[in-house]
Amino acid sequence: MARVILDDVSVEYPIYSAGAFSLRSRLIAIGTGGRISNVSRHVKTVAALDGLNLEFKDGDRVGLVGHNGSGKSTLLRTIAGIFTPTRGKISAEGRISTVFELGAGLQRELSGYDNIIRMSMMLGTSRAEAEANISDIEAFTELGDFLAMPVHTYSSGMSTRLIFAVATSTNPEILLVDEVFATGDADFQERAQRRMTAFVEKANILVLATHSDTVVESLCNRQIRLEHGLLCSDEAMLGPENSEPPSNAEC
Amino acid sequence: MQFSMLVDLPKSTSAISWRSIRHHAYIAWYIAWSDTRARYKRSVIGPFWLVLSTLIGVGGLAVVWGALMNADMAEFVPSLAIGLILWQAISGSVTESVRAFTDDAAIIKNIKTPPLRISLQLLFRQIINLLHNMVLVVLMLAIFPRLLSPTAFFAIPGLILVLINLLWVIHVLGFLGARFRDLEPLVSAIMPMLFFMSPVLYRSHELGAHAFIMRFNPLSYFVEIVRDPLLGHGPDALTYGAVVVMAVVGWSLTLWMTHAKKHRLAYWV
Repeated sequence: MARVILDDVSVEYPIYSAGAFSLRSRLIAIGTGGRISNVSRHVKTVAALDGLNLEFKDGDRVGLVGHNGSGKSTLLRTIAGIFTPTRGKISAEGRISTVFELGAGLQRELSGYDNIIRMSMMLGTSRAEAEANISDIEAFTELGDFLAMPVHTYSSGMSTRLIFAVATSTNPEILLVDEVFATGDADFQERAQRRMTAFVEKANILVLATHSDTVVESLCNRQIRLEHGLLCSDEAMLGPENSEPPSNAEC
Repeated sequence: MQFSMLVDLPKSTSAISWRSIRHHAYIAWYIAWSDTRARYKRSVIGPFWLVLSTLIGVGGLAVVWGALMNADMAEFVPSLAIGLILWQAISGSVTESVRAFTDDAAIIKNIKTPPLRISLQLLFRQIINLLHNMVLVVLMLAIFPRLLSPTAFFAIPGLILVLINLLWVIHVLGFLGARFRDLEPLVSAIMPMLFFMSPVLYRSHELGAHAFIMRFNPLSYFVEIVRDPLLGHGPDALTYGAVVVMAVVGWSLTLWMTHAKKHRLAYWV
């Protein structure tokens, strides 16, 4: 059983100016009791998430929408445990796998096979598990002999296929995906969606940040709209057959 | 502010179990090994370039320094070679530590990763380099077999103590380097001075009355605790004491600091 509960979660990014980052200003601040340079005491912060209360449970297929900078990626990273909320509480139960910024952890000099093991292990699987997943990844990526070639020979679409396959092969209970459908050809997009549909049928949680209404309509049963880090709307969707176009209410 | 999470390790919220340590250590080892492989993928002799460059360094310094100091070659050359090898591991750990976390920013921001695993990766990369350089240590002991004595076994606990120390140094400097970006040039500026203050180019007794200079350099003890037994000198109580005290104080400081700041790391890198 997988579950994610966010209780009044806020995330504030500290914005360190060059001054606040430097040791000199910190030393001066210490040496002068902080009177001359007080930058380090007043680090500016940007609120990326502001008091979110949400609950995701088994079977939730959540489409996160909102403008650039609305907090979608931050919310995904907070659920993944990468950012710790500066206020509020989050609890997540279940194996989490993430498909975020493409290429993190990819070692481009090494072959596709080496990278499958490497990335799987970074995501927390054991080596034996990672090796057991290879045939599944071979089948999904259809990269054939390219898997034995260094990853720097891949096109961006091919790397996307590999990364997506690895992240979903770790058999997660909670899959967090940050807009990956921008790259990859139509065929890949279709197969990625099929794989996610199959994944979601195993009654787990999917949270997907996207700008595409069609992706939300075809994959999700719940749409959450964020605006400036605030929850703007949270509505159930009826499914692909009889869905109404999601409302675009301004917040 | 509270955070509980069960990622891959069932029912371990604090995640400090023997199993999880082994699991993460293996991941760190695998990644360090694959990083090393990737780095030398298209090179013919690969990591042995490191061995070769040490060898060239030893050769050059032995000629110049040996003439300058009028040193006994049979004594000076092995001492220099082993000292340089150890220094490379120590200085490699220290200089790379300040950017260990910022270099892996993409991973820290995209995959949930325990920070200690990243520090361990750096230490393991240095150990892999050190193991390659062991070829030279063996070579030295083969050329100068009279150095070899049962005392040499004391080098092993010495090396373990040094590695335990290097891990906390990497971890603390990694955190500080992620927060204060001036630390990287500062550390690169200090390291050459510490090299000249370390007993690599000479041995502490050769400094005579000025030997105290070297005693102020904490890295000196790391070199001596491993090298002295290999050269047939018995373990020195002061050196052992200093290294053990550094390990205890250092790890206490590290655990205290990372406990307070581990949640901020993703915001810093």
